[in-house]
Amino acid sequence: MSKMKSVKQIRDVVRRELRIWQKRPIYLIGSVLVMLFCTVFYLSFLKEGVPSDVPIAIVDLDGSSTSRNFASQLDATQLGKVVHFDTFEEARRHLQSGDITSICILPEGFNRDIQSQRQPTISFYINGLYFLGGSLAWKDLLTMVNLTAGAVQRNVLQAKGVAPSQMDGLLRPVDIDIHQIGNATMNYGAYLANMMLPGMLQMVIVIIMIYSLGTELKYGTSRHLLDTAGNITNALAGKFLLYTLLFTAIGFSLELILYKWMGFPLAGKLGNMLLAVFLMIIAAESVGVFIIGCVPVCRFAISVGSLYSVLGLSLTGFTLPIEAMPLPLRGLSYMYPLRYYYMFYIQEGIFASGFAGWYVYAAVLLLFLLLPAFVMKRLEHAYIYQDYERN
Amino acid sequence: MLKYIKTVLKDALLVFNRELKLLIHDGGAMIILIAAGFLYPILYNYMYSNGVLEDTPIAVVDEADCSDSRRMIREIDATREVAIVAHCTDMQEARELFQKRKVNGIIYFPSDFGDVLASRQTAKFSIYADMSSFLYYKNLLMGSEFVMLSEINEIKIDRFMDSGLTAQEAAQSVHTIQYEDNNPYNRAFSYSIFLLSAIFLLIIQQVMFYVMSLIAGTQREENRSFATLPGAMRGRGVVRIVLGRGGAYWLIFMIIGLYVACIVPAMFKFPQRGDFADIVYLVTIFVVDCVFFSMTWSTLITRRESVFILLLFMSPVCLFLTGCSWPTTAFPAFWKYFSYLLPTTFGAPAFINMNTAGADLVTELDLVRYLHIQTIVYFVTACIAVYLENYVIRHKDEIVSNFFEARQRYRKTEK
Repeated sequence: MSKMKSVKQIRDVVRRELRIWQKRPIYLIGSVLVMLFCTVFYLSFLKEGVPSDVPIAIVDLDGSSTSRNFASQLDATQLGKVVHFDTFEEARRHLQSGDITSICILPEGFNRDIQSQRQPTISFYINGLYFLGGSLAWKDLLTMVNLTAGAVQRNVLQAKGVAPSQMDGLLRPVDIDIHQIGNATMNYGAYLANMMLPGMLQMVIVIIMIYSLGTELKYGTSRHLLDTAGNITNALAGKFLLYTLLFTAIGFSLELILYKWMGFPLAGKLGNMLLAVFLMIIAAESVGVFIIGCVPVCRFAISVGSLYSVLGLSLTGFTLPIEAMPLPLRGLSYMYPLRYYYMFYIQEGIFASGFAGWYVYAAVLLLFLLLPAFVMKRLEHAYIYQDYERN
Repeated sequence: MLKYIKTVLKDALLVFNRELKLLIHDGGAMIILIAAGFLYPILYNYMYSNGVLEDTPIAVVDEADCSDSRRMIREIDATREVAIVAHCTDMQEARELFQKRKVNGIIYFPSDFGDVLASRQTAKFSIYADMSSFLYYKNLLMGSEFVMLSEINEIKIDRFMDSGLTAQEAAQSVHTIQYEDNNPYNRAFSYSIFLLSAIFLLIIQQVMFYVMSLIAGTQREENRSFATLPGAMRGRGVVRIVLGRGGAYWLIFMIIGLYVACIVPAMFKFPQRGDFADIVYLVTIFVVDCVFFSMTWSTLITRRESVFILLLFMSPVCLFLTGCSWPTTAFPAFWKYFSYLLPTTFGAPAFINMNTAGADLVTELDLVRYLHIQTIVYFVTACIAVYLENYVIRHKDEIVSNFFEARQRYRKTEK
């Protein structure tokens, strides 16, 4: 009988919350619209996958056909776009202000020295501050030097009467077969969006959850909520239920967009990733409840939640890996559901190792569900007596 | 005239005092100010203090087991980027370690590696990189490519000599072109220098925006908007409000700004190659820009908490728009224009170029000029925003009744 009553009360809480949504659109704007903007941003901003036309400066002090050829071939690579400068000084200024990623100086007598085998030296200056552009330009320049050198060597060997069939082995005795596991095309966009978007979702969930529970205190409606729900458990259950539905809808759409629509690489099953995002969502909701329970003052709790969730993006370790961070911060990273989602994704999305690979992370995400239990009494107290600073 | 200026300053000072008081008595805003403004720069610095990932653990499967492969494995192990932690008998074993993330990459020498090499063909070995972080891939690639290139040159000299070149000819043609590479501003190719610099300036901008919005939102909730001007002035005095309020934030954020731009980098032995006066000038103008930027946009915040719900997600977006990871030249056109709305778009690159690459105000003239233009534009928009808000508050009844009249008229015409 009391079970029936609970179900009815929870349903009432859900209805009450829906009325609040209707009156104050901020809940839906703050979740659906914000996630929509983020999705559009990360997918369109990084849509090229690999940057192209990275500006590389050439200071051609030789002006021969060989040096011109070097420059035009560099320009023809997909990655590089050549900008010519007359003096090193001028190019250096642009390197310093980040307009160009690197400078390549072709020395005077470049062509003559190659022909007479006097081994001219090309100088590169890379602006390594602009990390991606700088390292790509560096790679592009190295490739170009090797290609140019290879062409010269080919001529020399041909003159010595080496058969074309033997040429490859002579010019390139060792080669590397590169396998990029989990992102074969080295798509930078897929790499970042894969974790940034769930990261933004975690942020949205924590904030909205805190806000939804915190406004009850702020506007003194918490007793009304308790009256509707009967007790704190039902109140939390009702809110949890509705927000889980909302965020799961967003989360599933996100996974479908990433792995179906955009076709980002996923070695495992989409269904398992849906499970992962679902578990991350309920874990993040629990964190939100935990924060407002610890600090039952809306303004403080929202500030704390913001500080917490902003840090989460770095502490997931998908850019700078966790093991490169100092030990105390590694510990801190365990506080974030996103971290476990990332570990889950590595197992499922990169290695396709299935349940055996990720069950630990799924279990930890479920453990997050215990968090609200610790603060339920405290939150109930605050809801009844409203004895904290209201605003 | 002099008297007028005196009154303006006096009024501005009143507003300034009031704003400071409001700020200091607001617990939620102070948490953000102290934690995000003072602690986060240290925390982020600490987090990224090892900007260079070293000794990525990898497994080796050496089916060739010849002197060449063994030598190359030793050389790869000796690079800074890679550390070989496991020698596996087959790929199956290596793959298990890979999957359990005991290693972040595999190097595989096929059984015919030595034979192919001996027969003067192209011998191939394979690397398998974990792409869950691009830094693993970069390390594995750099470590093994470095070894491969130096090996290639050795082997080539031998092979060229076999093809009829003299020892000197062979050596010369293998090193047809020499190169020297310099990475003057970031010798270790640290991933974090730009990221941290951008984060520093982003912290100034975002914390200011959030704090100002919190205060403004609270005021609006309580129906005492800061924009309210004394009635006797009849809508004049906008500049007083803007300067008075702005001054309060400017003062506080100059402290944070100088702390973040000068003290924190020194604490963490960050490269500081810029001229001190140049950096101070840049921070000053950047903070002024942020003040008017925040004042303009915080007009949209009507309730205290809504700023975090609606705009917290902008912080990472702004970070990307500084160009710290994806190169600015590859920005899609729309986002490039969008980024012009943000002070960090100009401030962060200018700061990093000056502080780390040692550029001066003249080299950075373009960015600094844009920063100035942006400041002026946002000053004007901040004034307009205050004026409009004040107008709306004072004429609320009129506007509301006009709206209803207009709606009625509209309905009548529809009928």
